[in-house]
Amino acid sequence: MTEQVAYPQIRIVPARLLSPSTIERLLNGICDLGKVRRLVLNGPRLPAEVPYGPAKGIPNPHEGRKTIKVKGEDVPLQVQVGVIICELPNDQVIPEIKEICDRVFTEFSYQIQKGRFMKSIPTTTDYARYGPEMDETLLGMTDVKGKGCPIIIQGGK
Amino acid sequence: MAYKPQFGPGTTAVAENRRKFMNPGYKLQKIRDVTDEDVVLLMGHRAPGSAYPTAHPPLAEAGEPKCPIRKIVVPLDGAKAGDRVRYIQFTDSMWFAPCHPYLRSYLESWRYRGVDPGTLSGRQIVECRERDLEKVAKELVETELLDAARTGIRGATVHGHSLRLDENGMMFDMLQRRIFDVKSKTVKYVKNQIGEPLDKSIDLGKPMDDKWLKAHTTIYNMNGGTAFRDDKEYVEWVQRVHSLRTKYGFMPME
Repeated sequence: MTEQVAYPQIRIVPARLLSPSTIERLLNGICDLGKVRRLVLNGPRLPAEVPYGPAKGIPNPHEGRKTIKVKGEDVPLQVQVGVIICELPNDQVIPEIKEICDRVFTEFSYQIQKGRFMKSIPTTTDYARYGPEMDETLLGMTDVKGKGCPIIIQGGK
Repeated sequence: MAYKPQFGPGTTAVAENRRKFMNPGYKLQKIRDVTDEDVVLLMGHRAPGSAYPTAHPPLAEAGEPKCPIRKIVVPLDGAKAGDRVRYIQFTDSMWFAPCHPYLRSYLESWRYRGVDPGTLSGRQIVECRERDLEKVAKELVETELLDAARTGIRGATVHGHSLRLDENGMMFDMLQRRIFDVKSKTVKYVKNQIGEPLDKSIDLGKPMDDKWLKAHTTIYNMNGGTAFRDDKEYVEWVQRVHSLRTKYGFMPME
């Protein structure tokens, strides 16, 4: 097992599942800080096609599956966001994120929880995909079995 | 003395609502108008106006055997005509939807003839001969048993009953069969129950507000509603049934 630096992680849990416009505002606010190392959006999946049932295979138009712009980067949403997990360089960033949440979540409440929420140990599947020399910052960033890749927010640099 | 059903225990409003919905003597409040055509479109089993496909010849032509039971049990119109058996399925959000899967099966068994209700973890299906199903479905959709935002008509891909609501107060639906129209503040179905797009949207009206939902819900929920433990009588009866059936399974002679 590789030794890891344990950066603090937080989980933002709003009382409602978020619309693409709300998550866009929140992410732009968080990325404006320039202090978040990694960020994962979790929630129930919104597939492009009906996955099963009698209508299997037909297109599944859904308002939640939009491409949003975060600091100029296209972020195609594949889930209806319910949880935002952030890895921070230190605890001092948490109050700043709280301020952004207060600004964005005006219609409903939210919680910020501190703990370990991201994958920390590579699984066999990670090994099969990334090999023995994997970049550990990629760990848990995307579905290992999916085709997607993590998105790097350049911040206009 | 004639048997008078009590429908269920409980002293809270939730228990009272459960009894009310199960009681066939109580007329369910109609809260929206949905046309027969819309019900057919929502279910998606046949094109509106088309003939009912049949599974067998009409009973009058079938040459039924002489049977005393067949004389006693009057067949449904759909059975007489040989209709197929079709279904409608509902998902009810645990966030104070008016009805819930177990209760749906109970109330359908009390209220309708010739139906086959089935409760699963987060959904409830009711099967019936097609033309009779359309009448049953119309009542289930038009009345207080359905809230436009917290109840879903979902033939497949039902996930969402236990998730948080979205920003508009709608239950999550992976196939987004219904959308919340921000301008008119109404809920419109744009897909049928299995997720095929409809040629026209079907308006189910405005979602009910939280006050109405909490007054009409049949779901115990300690997060803002009535906690199950607060209904002492209900808990007592559930425990009694649990205890008796456990003992009976162990030693029936006691």
